[in-house]
Amino acid sequence: MITIDNIKKSFDGKTILSGVDGTIKTGEIFAIIGPSGQGKTTLLRILNLLETPSEGNIILDGVSIHEIKDRNQIRRKMGMVFQDTIAFHDTVFNNIALGLRYRHYSKKEIQERVMQKLGEIGLSGFSNRNATTLSGGEKQRVSLARVLITDPEILLLDEPTANLDPISTEVIENLIRRYNRECNTTVIMATHDLLLGQRLADRVAVMMDGRFIQSGTVFDLFSRPCSGAVAQFIGIGNILTGTVIGNKDGMAVIETDGVRVYALGEIPPQTPVTIAIRPEEITLHRGSDTGTSARNVITGIIESVQPFGIISTIRVSHNTFRLSVQVTWQSMQDLNLAPGIPVTISFKASSVHGMPDECSHAA
Amino acid sequence: MTGRTLTVLIAIILGVVLISSPVLAAEALPEHSADRLLIGTTTSLDATGLLDVLSEKFEADNGIDVQWVAVGTGQAIEYGRNCDVDIIMVHDRVAEDKFIDEGYGLDRRIFGYNYFLLVGPGSDPAQISGLNATEAFSAINTAGETDESVVFVSRGDNSGTHSREKLLWKGGGYDYAVINASPWYREAGAGMGQTLTMTEELQAYTLCDSSTWGAYESELTLIPLVENDDRFLNIYAVMRINPDLCPDVNAEMAKKWENFMISPEVQDIIGTYGIEEKGKAYFSPALGNEELIGVLVEETTTPVV
Amino acid sequence: MNDLITGIGIAFGLILTADPEVIDITARTLAITCSSTLISVVVALPLGAAIAFRDFPGKRTVISIIQTLYALPTVVVGLLCFMVLSRSGPLGYLGWMFTPNGMIFGQTVLILPITAGLVITALQSVSPGITDTIRSLGASRLQFLRSHVREARFAIMAAVIVGFSRAISEVGTAIMIGGNIKGHTRVLTTAISLQTSMGNFSLSLALGIILLVIALVINLLLGLVQNR
Repeated sequence: MITIDNIKKSFDGKTILSGVDGTIKTGEIFAIIGPSGQGKTTLLRILNLLETPSEGNIILDGVSIHEIKDRNQIRRKMGMVFQDTIAFHDTVFNNIALGLRYRHYSKKEIQERVMQKLGEIGLSGFSNRNATTLSGGEKQRVSLARVLITDPEILLLDEPTANLDPISTEVIENLIRRYNRECNTTVIMATHDLLLGQRLADRVAVMMDGRFIQSGTVFDLFSRPCSGAVAQFIGIGNILTGTVIGNKDGMAVIETDGVRVYALGEIPPQTPVTIAIRPEEITLHRGSDTGTSARNVITGIIESVQPFGIISTIRVSHNTFRLSVQVTWQSMQDLNLAPGIPVTISFKASSVHGMPDECSHAA
Repeated sequence: MTGRTLTVLIAIILGVVLISSPVLAAEALPEHSADRLLIGTTTSLDATGLLDVLSEKFEADNGIDVQWVAVGTGQAIEYGRNCDVDIIMVHDRVAEDKFIDEGYGLDRRIFGYNYFLLVGPGSDPAQISGLNATEAFSAINTAGETDESVVFVSRGDNSGTHSREKLLWKGGGYDYAVINASPWYREAGAGMGQTLTMTEELQAYTLCDSSTWGAYESELTLIPLVENDDRFLNIYAVMRINPDLCPDVNAEMAKKWENFMISPEVQDIIGTYGIEEKGKAYFSPALGNEELIGVLVEETTTPVV
Repeated sequence: MNDLITGIGIAFGLILTADPEVIDITARTLAITCSSTLISVVVALPLGAAIAFRDFPGKRTVISIIQTLYALPTVVVGLLCFMVLSRSGPLGYLGWMFTPNGMIFGQTVLILPITAGLVITALQSVSPGITDTIRSLGASRLQFLRSHVREARFAIMAAVIVGFSRAISEVGTAIMIGGNIKGHTRVLTTAISLQTSMGNFSLSLALGIILLVIALVINLLLGLVQNR
């Protein structure tokens, strides 16, 4: 188990990490997601002892790792794959064998293990190739093999598949999954790719402004983003701010830009709140005739239409209130939609997610 | 890096340098030991090949390695003063006397002599041919002021030859500083051989000892223009370095070398070396010629003990 | 022109007939130059690594000084080493004046700034990602250094070649410390200098050609090692 205890880090007076807290269980795949430049890499480097935290502790199996004099004792339990693909000016074989050489494995064992790893990364027969001549994806596979060959208890991955070809991405994802399952390897990866997190991770934590602001499964994040920033990062289209003016029938009434919106669940009155409404859950009608049972019905005018494949995003405004709605290309044709046309939009109270901006900062 | 690690590092580096150098050296000889004699010698003894002949004989007789550094007299004396050589062989009476007075030089023995020559181009633009030394120097000075083709090349290296040249200018009543600053006067700052090569290229005049001249004349178009002047007498001396001031010198072998140099056998070699090859000897032996060259008989015969 | 042609002829004659004195001078040149190159590299590697990998106040100044010393005139090194190695100097007790050891000492002093400076540049040019990876894989100090040297081996080999070339071609320290003693401290450059002063241009040229051939062969050999 790894406990991250109030990790802070600043470089030259600039704060990168402002107090990261979290616990990662042994055998867990834990993804740190968030936009670039929010401190994900720095946190991984601190975990790998490549940086020293300005404050706080990393506790691995009851030991504060930055207080141990022999860093290699900790490092040799870990393996880190860096975002920039690293290839030594050497053969692929020597690139992969490096960690075993540091650990004084026998020549025979190194030979066997490297050959096995070459097979696992799908690069059998590349043994004597100069690693620097490989493609980016191949290099990253070699980087992963270089780390996996040492049987790390903890695998640290920094954007492991960013900008890679699909084959390499698949090989790498499968290997990560396999080592996690078969060897119970704890995986901590940093990525800006929510979908990668969704495919691989048991749990994700969103890092923003140098700390975790929400953690859980990807489904948790989608269904209950804790703040507008999170909602925005995970790509929920309509994020509005407003104030709760009352509660009615188990629903909160929120006023935002002069429009009343009903959201499922009670929120104390006068609370400033951020709400998210998924564009795909909003229905659009021509004119004012709706015949809908949805709790929220708002009339407005089409402001703009932006086609994207077979889906078009339509912005509808009611005075200063604006929402994005997604409709299929077929509906566009049927309803003959164009800017300036008056429409009515409707959505259920359950589609409105009120976020009181009370994020939990521990993962 | 802390100051301590830096110190340790420097210590290690120095250690490595000091330890590995002798180990790696091609021929790590124990220096200044009983089986090596190091001579600081004037270049003419080396350039003529005389030292090769003498050292071979001495090595065979004494089972010792004789080595020499061929430099100008001034530098040879300097090496002696630094205790870097065991013995010196030079030709500059004034500098020798000073060296002996300082206590560094011991047991000066005279082993040979030759003459300086004033050599120059066959065209002889200053018309010095047939003049005596003083007249010739004066003629070069006069002609040099007006005729651009008149150039004098000086060793300019504080060697014995350079010293003699300065003495000759002074003897003619000239201020050497003025001569030195003259446009026709060039300081080579080099050994005799190199100075001769330069003189040849410039078709100039220079003062040269007859022995080096003998070794080089076949390669040069220059000719001797002034010779057989008393002021051109050039006397070679050998003296050992005082072991009281330089405790590491090989004093025993140095004494042996001095006695070797004044021995009749070696004197005979000096008087004949070169005849076979060049038709005449490079040097003349001092033994028996004391009166001619104006030295005391003790300086050529008394063994060093 | 004549000297040039005869010189080339004489050079090949000396090489083909394995002239004993030329062989002797050449062997000594190689022994002395290789020794000084080897020592300078042995010193330059840890020294260069210490400077390249550590942060200390004045680091940039130290590197600038080292790089300035690339241009150290050989005669200045000769003079300084003479003052140090002379019997009357601080290391006079070693008795290295006019010996091959003294020449190795002088050449080492001469080329150490070059080898160390180029080693620093070589190690600093290793990408930070490689350094991180080496650290991350749990390299010990020695393994860390070894992996960096291996990664920078081309540039380090260049440092060796440049150091060697400067050592074999210099004449200033060789003549001031070695004294050009026949059969003892006479090397190719001092022999060339002597033969030139004696007007034997053909022989000088021949020795010069031999020197160049050696430099070429050594460069090719090191190049082979580099490409391995």
